[in-house]
Amino acid sequence: MAWYRQIWNVLRPGRTQRNLERELSFHVRERADELQAAGMSEDEAVRDARRLFGNYTSQVERTREMDINGWLDSALRNLRLAVRALVKTPAFTTVVILTLALGIGANSAVFSAINAVLLRPLPFPEGDQLVKLTQTRKQSPFVAPVRLEDWNRLSSTFQAISGWYAEDESELSGELPEKLSRALVAPRFLQVLGVAPIIGRDFSSREEHFGGPEAVLISHRLWLRRFGGNPNAVGQTLRIGRSSVPIIGVMPASFLFPGRDVDLWSVSPPDAPYAQSRESTWYTVIGRMKLGVTVEQARANLATVQSNLGNQFPKTDAGMGVSIEPLKEITVGGVRQSLWLLFGSVTLLLLIACTNIATLLLSRAAGRQHEISVRFSLGASRASVATQLLTEVLVLSLAGAALGLVMAAGASRVFPVLARDLPRIEEIGLDGRILWYTLACAIAATFLCGLLPAIRGTRRSLAGSLATASRALVSGRNTMQFVLVGVQVALAVTLLAGAGLLVRSLQELGRVSPGFEAEHVLALHISSNWGETSDFKASHQRVTRILDGLNSIPGVAGSATSVTIPGVPVNYQIEVNTAEGRAPSEPKMLAESRAVNPSYFATMRIPLLTGDLCRDDQSTAGMMVNRSFADAYLGGSSAIGHRLFQPGNSFVVPSEIRGIVGDARENGLDRAPVPTVYWCFGGNQPGSYFLVRTKVAPAALVETVRRKIHELEPLRSVYDVIPLSGLISDAYAENRLRTILLAFFATTAVLLACIGLYGTLRYMVSIRQREVGLRLALGAMRAQIVRQFVQQGLRAVLCGCLAGLAMAEAAGRLMSGMLFGVSPSDVLTLAGVTGIVVAVSVLASLLPAIRASRLEPMQVLREG
Amino acid sequence: MGAKKNDILQGTLVLLILKTLASSKKMHGYAITGHIQKVSDQLLRVEEGSLYPALHRMEQEGWIKAEWGITEKNREARFYSLTAQGRKQLNQEEASWERLTEGVARVLRFA
Repeated sequence: MAWYRQIWNVLRPGRTQRNLERELSFHVRERADELQAAGMSEDEAVRDARRLFGNYTSQVERTREMDINGWLDSALRNLRLAVRALVKTPAFTTVVILTLALGIGANSAVFSAINAVLLRPLPFPEGDQLVKLTQTRKQSPFVAPVRLEDWNRLSSTFQAISGWYAEDESELSGELPEKLSRALVAPRFLQVLGVAPIIGRDFSSREEHFGGPEAVLISHRLWLRRFGGNPNAVGQTLRIGRSSVPIIGVMPASFLFPGRDVDLWSVSPPDAPYAQSRESTWYTVIGRMKLGVTVEQARANLATVQSNLGNQFPKTDAGMGVSIEPLKEITVGGVRQSLWLLFGSVTLLLLIACTNIATLLLSRAAGRQHEISVRFSLGASRASVATQLLTEVLVLSLAGAALGLVMAAGASRVFPVLARDLPRIEEIGLDGRILWYTLACAIAATFLCGLLPAIRGTRRSLAGSLATASRALVSGRNTMQFVLVGVQVALAVTLLAGAGLLVRSLQELGRVSPGFEAEHVLALHISSNWGETSDFKASHQRVTRILDGLNSIPGVAGSATSVTIPGVPVNYQIEVNTAEGRAPSEPKMLAESRAVNPSYFATMRIPLLTGDLCRDDQSTAGMMVNRSFADAYLGGSSAIGHRLFQPGNSFVVPSEIRGIVGDARENGLDRAPVPTVYWCFGGNQPGSYFLVRTKVAPAALVETVRRKIHELEPLRSVYDVIPLSGLISDAYAENRLRTILLAFFATTAVLLACIGLYGTLRYMVSIRQREVGLRLALGAMRAQIVRQFVQQGLRAVLCGCLAGLAMAEAAGRLMSGMLFGVSPSDVLTLAGVTGIVVAVSVLASLLPAIRASRLEPMQVLREG
Repeated sequence: MGAKKNDILQGTLVLLILKTLASSKKMHGYAITGHIQKVSDQLLRVEEGSLYPALHRMEQEGWIKAEWGITEKNREARFYSLTAQGRKQLNQEEASWERLTEGVARVLRFA
């Protein structure tokens, strides 16, 4: 019960001490009074009373021990000593704190990203119950509204299933049409996500039925921007396309689903007549599993549901499966590898920093042998001296960690700028877990840096031999220091090799011939919605009119439309078949599907190899295939004339292959071309790209193009106008970012390792001054001295390089999934890395070696 | 240290202090030594070296509490008094002391 008082007493040592002395001196005075009363003189009485009392100071001390928490007391005393010792060597202290701040700060920063993106559940209540459902086999992963309703009704493992698709709208109540992204959602959308509007309400059941009142929920961002955060916004209307839609609620600022650019949510009623086909491909489907249901149970349940549907609707549903993945996995799975890679590299960096500091501390401990041996001779135990040394490191680590935390806080602001597209980036920030993690880092760093020097620095034999050591002419070999240098070099080589491989991958990616020309192409969107696609003729005419208008601009060499853009990773694999059918023995025809208009090939400079170009009047129903497709499935040029259709998708009319075009890296620069079919009816669906080939720099035409389109289509907004090369490079921004970061860490690592080498050699030189002086006096050549020290350093470096190369080989294999065009054991990279490290190490060891050779022998010997 | 009277057996000092404080309301350290010496007819002498550490340890244990006060001679002293917990402790220690002395006495009788 009194422990807090014991701690309190430690924290106010002065007061405790004063009270004790007051109490004990009272005792002595009382005793003196008594003795005086018995007839002694006053002086005698006082002296006798003191004598009877015993050693006054030690009495106070012994009594005090009862009043305080001894552990805390000695910890505080150690702390005071540590701070005093560190303040006396400000340069050393600053270097160590900065090194640790860098190591721990980088570590905490990357951990804060990992924590927010990978570790924390999605920002929805019981987010782990959320899953994404996709239909497998046949046509597309997107699900027809009726099937979604079937799943929701028939499954027993889900609280609710819903879905969404997004389209871009022109909102017309402002001065200029503004492009807004709208998610059209199936009923129960907010119920599945477990989020409610902050103002207003969710959709009513009438609004979820066809013919019911229209309604829209708006984003917090739009609410602030358009309505200044006024609660009266609910009830006002937005003009979306041709209709006025009342606002029924505002979503919370943290609600960014399905995408951070979505500003509007409305219901797409499942009972609408146009939503009844089981073949339509609309929804990305999400579901909330009942509590306690596992993903496996949900999978089994939905498999049964869908197989029953297959029996009921053999034409559309037979053979279809349902794949279920946790929503979190879908959201963040793509960046997991990159984040752990970065985490691994900053951990290596921290290890290097700790090793570096350990070498510094070894030298420092050696320099303090005198102080340490004095303590031993005064009776200190080895444990208490080692604790004292460790306390110094703890102080350094905590200071470094505090500074590192500031760095990490800064980094969490920088992340969103560097990696805009990282999922959940807006959730990165400091929280309690980061604080604990940083503290754990500081403690781990304390032991990593401090344990070895504390153990070695307190060896009695070392301390005992001190008196002779300082006078010896030849000093010990200090193997441990060089081992630590080797460790640093090994870790640095590993990091640098990893960075080198990523850099080479990026270079290779830039060198790849994509099969199309991305330069001088401007990409842009023009708003439209799915409703308009029902009138194919009108939307087709509109696209043609826009393309003609674009082509009439001086400086434009051609234009086209496409649902996707080449060179950016997009997978849309489908199964096609020939109208005449194929023997079961022949392989299934799997192909990437692209919807473009006929001028696409000329605009993108994809060469026509055989046959003619398709035309885009619907009656002729022509299509193109790439060379890989023709060679793989239809015997090369004999492919022309075959009619292809997509089983299970009656929206795609069987089309005739009119020509074969060259292979282009349609689905990503880093992926070899795969068999691809081009349907020649692209361009009229929402979200399609318009691609404009320009004779001048594409950026110069942005305004002209905007004005032209506004002239032709005043009610539509034009947005995301950006050169195609920029779009492609954005798609690889994550690659670039992780490469840059890793290169930065690797450079820092090499620098740290070199500083470690330099420091070690300088220390060697300083303790071997007398030996060097003697040898010089005996006629040794200065070059010999230089060679000796450089050799000593390089021996450690070379051993480190060898170990580092072995580790780099292993690390390279771990990251082989991120490499492009280079093997994990790429000789050129590894040799280059070794070369760089050795070259820098030679420089780092030359400086102290030359210093040693410049010593004045007489001066050194006389001083000793 | 000169001729010692009977040194107090290790561990019994606490019992003596508890008993002393149980008989009066508040006492300072010097009075406690005096009381023990007087009541034991000078048979027992409390060493200052063990008294104050013992008092402070007992205070931390919560058996006694201390407060500053003024003596008749108008001096500042630290007065100790028994707590409820201390009273319980006294009962226990008294019981175990009786068991101990009885045990020792029997051994002495039979040996």
